[in-house]
Amino acid sequence: MHGQAVVAGVGESTYYVRGRSPDSEFQLTCTAIRRAVEDAGLDLAKVDGFVSYMDQRNDPLRLAHALGIDELRWSNTCWAGGGNNAAAAVQLADAAVSGGYADTVVAFRGLAQGQFGRFGRPRGLSNAAQGDMGWKAPYGLLSPAQECALHTARYMHDHGISQEALCDISLACYANAQLNPRALRNGRPLTREEYHESRWIVEPFHLFDCCPENDGAAAIVVTTPERAKDLKKSGVPILACAQGLGPKYGFHAFQEKYLSGMFYGNVGEAIWQRAGVKPSDVDVLQLYENFTGPVMIALAEMGFCEPGEVEAFVANGALEGPNAKLPFNTSGGNIGEAYIHGFELVNEAVRQVRGDSTCQAKDVELSLVVGGPGYAPGSAVLFNRA
Amino acid sequence: MARHFGDDWLIPALDPFNESWFTAGKITVQSCDDCGVFQHPPEDVCGSCQGTALSFVECSGEGTVESVAVVHHPVHPGLSDHCPYAIVVVSLDGAPGANAIGNILNRDPGDISIGQRVRAVFEPAKDAKTGADLLIPQWEVV
Repeated sequence: MHGQAVVAGVGESTYYVRGRSPDSEFQLTCTAIRRAVEDAGLDLAKVDGFVSYMDQRNDPLRLAHALGIDELRWSNTCWAGGGNNAAAAVQLADAAVSGGYADTVVAFRGLAQGQFGRFGRPRGLSNAAQGDMGWKAPYGLLSPAQECALHTARYMHDHGISQEALCDISLACYANAQLNPRALRNGRPLTREEYHESRWIVEPFHLFDCCPENDGAAAIVVTTPERAKDLKKSGVPILACAQGLGPKYGFHAFQEKYLSGMFYGNVGEAIWQRAGVKPSDVDVLQLYENFTGPVMIALAEMGFCEPGEVEAFVANGALEGPNAKLPFNTSGGNIGEAYIHGFELVNEAVRQVRGDSTCQAKDVELSLVVGGPGYAPGSAVLFNRA
Repeated sequence: MARHFGDDWLIPALDPFNESWFTAGKITVQSCDDCGVFQHPPEDVCGSCQGTALSFVECSGEGTVESVAVVHHPVHPGLSDHCPYAIVVVSLDGAPGANAIGNILNRDPGDISIGQRVRAVFEPAKDAKTGADLLIPQWEVV
């Protein structure tokens, strides 16, 4: 039976507006890992594995030295894409611990975009764009926001969804951030009017449909249930994980079969099947929102509602606050808390099961994190109460 | 004719996959000689039957707008003077399933919508490094 490994601790650095971190990216990352291990009550020297995703710059050998690790037995990363692999990194840690290859594995993401350049910004564009970018750049299609906008616009057209659905998703992130002292949008609430009056980035995304760019790091410690038994906080079991390879990527994603949607469906099927639960069983949801559009699409593709019901599903504060119909991105998420490429969502999902979120949902049995957006492979992890 | 984003704007680096699209001066889509499926972007192998005999087939040059995103925030300094601009996804007549990315040259961004019929036009460009002449497919609302 899968589901033996547990999350024993979570930690994060202070989060900063992009470029404002006084610490280096590596220092931020070490801080987050140290705090996660402290939170677990474990000995830092006994960490024996590191996993991350998406071209993580803070490599395990450097970390092992800086953190005084006795022995590194597992180092791995998820290939490709973007924050879609946030939950897949947890899956790698789970695989290592459940498989017995290591017994105290840290999964993390650390970034200081002020020091290394902005994520998602087209890099290395010379006069002649290569490969996948060659099909897009000549037409001014350069950013993830623009790509997600093309999918979102078509999805809204096909299913009769208005701008209010995107607004409601953004408002939920901002409202939840007001409860979270770590959140960069704490103290900066958003109204429906401000949302609609904000400038367009790329239609149908207003400024407030887009997550900001931030500096910071977040980490969790995954270990065996035996080891977790003696720790100060009870571990949070990893009930199921899934990676889903959408059939197409990059420029392929705009072809007829894939344009009106994203690639959450196969991740959804995999996670429900592995865990033996259904969407309506989920008590609290953390869903990667680099932009609001992919959230709307993911809710339908993962089976929380029908595509035509999305607007009603998110309306009237249905995602807002601890008592929401479906508590969602309860830390504020990428938009409201900080954009740590989705890993802050993992920390929050663990806190929801432990009962120490700043926007604590009631009686949480199942807490889901979905990495996104629609770039393959997507990923999800479901935590449950011990 | 000047290019939509000016003659200094990025061009594609030609390769065996995109050369037909960006130089033929007509709309061509790769099709599998064995099973007849169209695939865009082109590949070395047919994604449907795994055949390796693939040819570029000429289409009528007409199509339909399948999605549109109007860009207001330039992510590249070379586009600052061109915002807002629209990016469209166009389905290609005669190549079922195949969609292209493009811009529409004869309408303001706010006047472009899903379902509009469009016809291809071609922007001449030159790759200064290789000397290659390009004809970049673009679109006009019919």
